[in-house]
Order: sequence, then C-alpha cells, then structure tokens
Amino acid sequence: MSINKLGSHRKGIHKQALFGILIWTTMILGGCATTEVAEQQNQADPHENINRKIYSFNDTVDNYVAEPIADAYKWITPQFVQTGVFNFFNNLKNINIVLNDVLQAKFKQSAQDTGRFAINSTIGLAGFVDVAKDVGLEQNDEDFEQTLAVWGVPQGSYLVLPLLGPSTVRGIPGAIFDTAANPSSYVGAPVQLVSLLNARANAEGALKFIDEAALDPYVFTRESFLQWRNHLATDGKSQAASDLTDFDDELSGNDKEDAAGAASLSGAGGKSTETENPKAGLILRLSADTREFEQVSHSFRSTAQSFDETAQSFKNAGTKIDKLRK
Amino acid sequence: MVLKNMKLAVIFIFCLLGTGNGFAEDGKGATARQIIEKFQEELIQVMKNGKQLGFSGRYEKLYEPVSNSHDLTKIARIVVGKEWEKLSEEQQKKLVDVFSRFSVASYAHNFKDYAGESFKFDSEEETARGGVVVHSHLVIPDEKPVKFDYMLKEKGNSWRIINIIANGVSDLALKRSEYTTILQREGFDALIAKINEKIDNYSKL
Repeated sequence: MSINKLGSHRKGIHKQALFGILIWTTMILGGCATTEVAEQQNQADPHENINRKIYSFNDTVDNYVAEPIADAYKWITPQFVQTGVFNFFNNLKNINIVLNDVLQAKFKQSAQDTGRFAINSTIGLAGFVDVAKDVGLEQNDEDFEQTLAVWGVPQGSYLVLPLLGPSTVRGIPGAIFDTAANPSSYVGAPVQLVSLLNARANAEGALKFIDEAALDPYVFTRESFLQWRNHLATDGKSQAASDLTDFDDELSGNDKEDAAGAASLSGAGGKSTETENPKAGLILRLSADTREFEQVSHSFRSTAQSFDETAQSFKNAGTKIDKLRK
Repeated sequence: MVLKNMKLAVIFIFCLLGTGNGFAEDGKGATARQIIEKFQEELIQVMKNGKQLGFSGRYEKLYEPVSNSHDLTKIARIVVGKEWEKLSEEQQKKLVDVFSRFSVASYAHNFKDYAGESFKFDSEEETARGGVVVHSHLVIPDEKPVKFDYMLKEKGNSWRIINIIANGVSDLALKRSEYTTILQREGFDALIAKINEKIDNYSKL
C-alpha cells in the first residue's frame, strides 16, 4: 500500500517535471516566434531574471573556486608549459573544426584545417607546438552551433547555464555535439580538469576586460556574446548590414535636430527620403525574417542546398541595400 | 594690347579660382579615411610613449584626438536611446561630459603600451544614408589581427566616428543596451555614478 503510494507519488513528480519541461520549452519556443521589431533586447533575452540569477551564481563560483585555482595553475606552471597545454587542446579542437567545415560545405577551409591538424600533430609534437601558425595557417573558428546557424536554425533566446556560462537555445545541441566530437572528452577526469584550468586561465584577459569596462557586466557579457556568435556564424558578413538598420533610424532622428539649420538647403527632398527609408528598412527586416522561417522548414533537407540559400539571401540583401542607396 | 591684358586678366582670374577651389577643398575638411588614419597614428604614438606618460599623460595626449575624431555628443545620445528625451537639459549636458571623459579614459587605459602594433587600412564603403564605413585592422605581432570597422557620419564639414565595431562586436550596440538597461532599472544618478567609478578605476590601474 505504502509502496504503491510512493510509486504514485513518484509518478506525480515525473508528471510535474514533464509539465515543467513542457512549459519551459514552450516559453523558449514562444521566444523564438515573436516577430516584433520593437524591443530587441527583450526579444533575445526573455528569461533575463533567471539568467541574471544564474550569472551572479556563476560569478560567485568563479571568484571563490575557479579563479583561485586558475591563478594557482598560472603561478606554478611555467609560461612555455601553459602555451604548450593551450596548443595541445587547441589542436584537438581542429578535428571538430574540420567536421564542421565539411558540414557547412566549406571544403577548401576543411582541407586547410586538416593540414593544420596534420602538421601540428606530427611536427608540432602531438600539438604542443603550433607550427602551422608559423607557416601561415591560421586556425579557423568553427563549431556545431555555427553549423546549425548556417543550416538556418534560429538562434533562440539567450541562456546562462549554471557553471557553463552564456549560451543560446541553439548553443545547447551545439555544445553537446562539440563535446562528443572532442577526443579529450573521453580520456578521463584529470585531462578534463587540465582542459578546464587551461580554458579558465586563457579567459583571464577577457574576464578582466569585462570587469574593468562593463557598467552592467551581465548586459555587457550578453551583448558581446550574442554579437560575437553572430559574427562567427555569418563569417563577419551580417554585422555591417544589421548595424546600419539598427542605428540608422536613430541617427536620422538626431540628424533632423542637428541639421535643423542645414535642412533648408536640402529642402523637401531630404525629408521624403527620411520617411521612406525606415519603411524600406522595416520591409527588409521583415522579409529577412520570413526568409529565415522558410529556411528553417527546409533546413535539414540538405546542407548544401540551405548553404546556397543563405548565400543567395546575402546576395539579395546586397541588391536591396544597393536599391536603397539609389 | 587691351585684348592681351584681358587675356592675362582671364588667366589670372582662372588661377585665382583654381587656388580658391583648392582652398575650398582644404576647408571642406579631411575625408573619413584621413580622419581614421590620423586618429590611429596618434593612438600608436601614445602607445609608444605609454609607459613614460602614465595614465594621466595618456589621457591628456588623447583628449583632443578622441574628441576631434569622434562625435561624442551624438554617441552619448544614441547610447541612451529613447531615454535621452526624458533627461533634463542639465542631465544631458552632464551625460555628454561624463561620457566623453569615460571614452578618453578607456582609450588611455586600453592602449597603454606598445609591442609593435600597427593599424592597416583595408577598404572604405558608403552606407545607405550617406555614412561611411572604414574597414581596418590592428596588426599585433604573434597574435591574430583585430578587425576595426569605423562608422562615420558627416558633421559640419568633417567626418566623425559614430561607432566602432571590433571583431564584429559593435561598441555602440553594447553601450546602448548597457546604458538603457541601467537607466531603466536604476535611474540617471546611478548611471553617472557607475561611469565615474569606472573612470576612477581606470586612473588607478
């Protein structure tokens, strides 16, 4: 009887957990589906309250655990060993980079990265020396999250994960795949610990910069993380365009006041372009949105195809911008 | 004779017009690219003497170059977004003042020493609304180069930096979300206090 009760109670907990997950996913998916152009930061970060709490938790853990250990590691380890350790783990990442090059149909780059891995694993003494860099083979930055982006999977909302830090909904399957594709994940705890230490020690500069420059470290981290990920996923192509559409409305608004005196010179012509352009910008943005949604529906059919589509949409955006210019 | 004189006069006038045009072009101010290259050169100079100058020396040396190449008033305005309209005139003045000092201070702090860095110009493009984007990168020996894209707008007869995008991260977008968040959550006085605290930290580090 009592066992039975316990059983049913457990079932209840399971049900509750399932229900919780359901709510959570609908919340996230809901976040994806909003098409409002108005408040961008809320759109990207609908779970700000929870995220902020996890962020400050991570920050505390970092201050009291990770930072002291990483500092100790840096203190006892000579610089050349630190560089070697960094190079070793960085070289292992190349396997993952090559995989993702291929998945994104960047075949030339995949050949280059394979060469990099081959050189460093042999002449570079199992990766401890980055010979390829001296030869002029710079490491590319690719991962599965970027591959998903190229395939047209939307980014989803911003998430701060306990201990792991900033991510997005798209970043979670990305991170799982990347971990699975990295040999260092399979060799056991000591190696992973060194890997973590190495990662924390190398993040020192960036974390210090955030500490010094950020008025609101949470927002600073979120914005720079999202922009940087977007920059990587689009290989730097989207940044200029998005930046313009974001700020031009504001700029023209300011220009109106700034150039109050000069307005008489440009006359009515100037005004009409000012009212037209935001509309065109909006249409551009909306059409970009619908294109994105279309891409999602096609996304998994074939990599190469969606790769072409994204290339095409870049081209389209280019011609649209050209039209705007005229 | 008269004809010859007239001819001379015409030539003279042409010359005058020519020089006049030349002067006019000079008066029109530097191109966007020239503004950027001049600023980057001044920055590298300060980096080279960074250690001797110390923070306050670098701040002094950079104040003019930064305020002459950046449109700090406009940047401060964009950075607080719609909140700008809600600020009193006095608050707006204060914000521009504190923000300008913060901008110079962060340059003085982040470009403090020299290890063979140099800026390279890549390309220049016009944007839809008559702005110009100058693409360049900072070459750092033994490290990956950092991309610096500058967005400029015409102000008066010269070009001024509105936004800097470093390796794809837009300074303006970053500051904008920070500043508007703080204004909405904690208010104007907290924002000013936080900026002043950062300037203070920079001067001590």
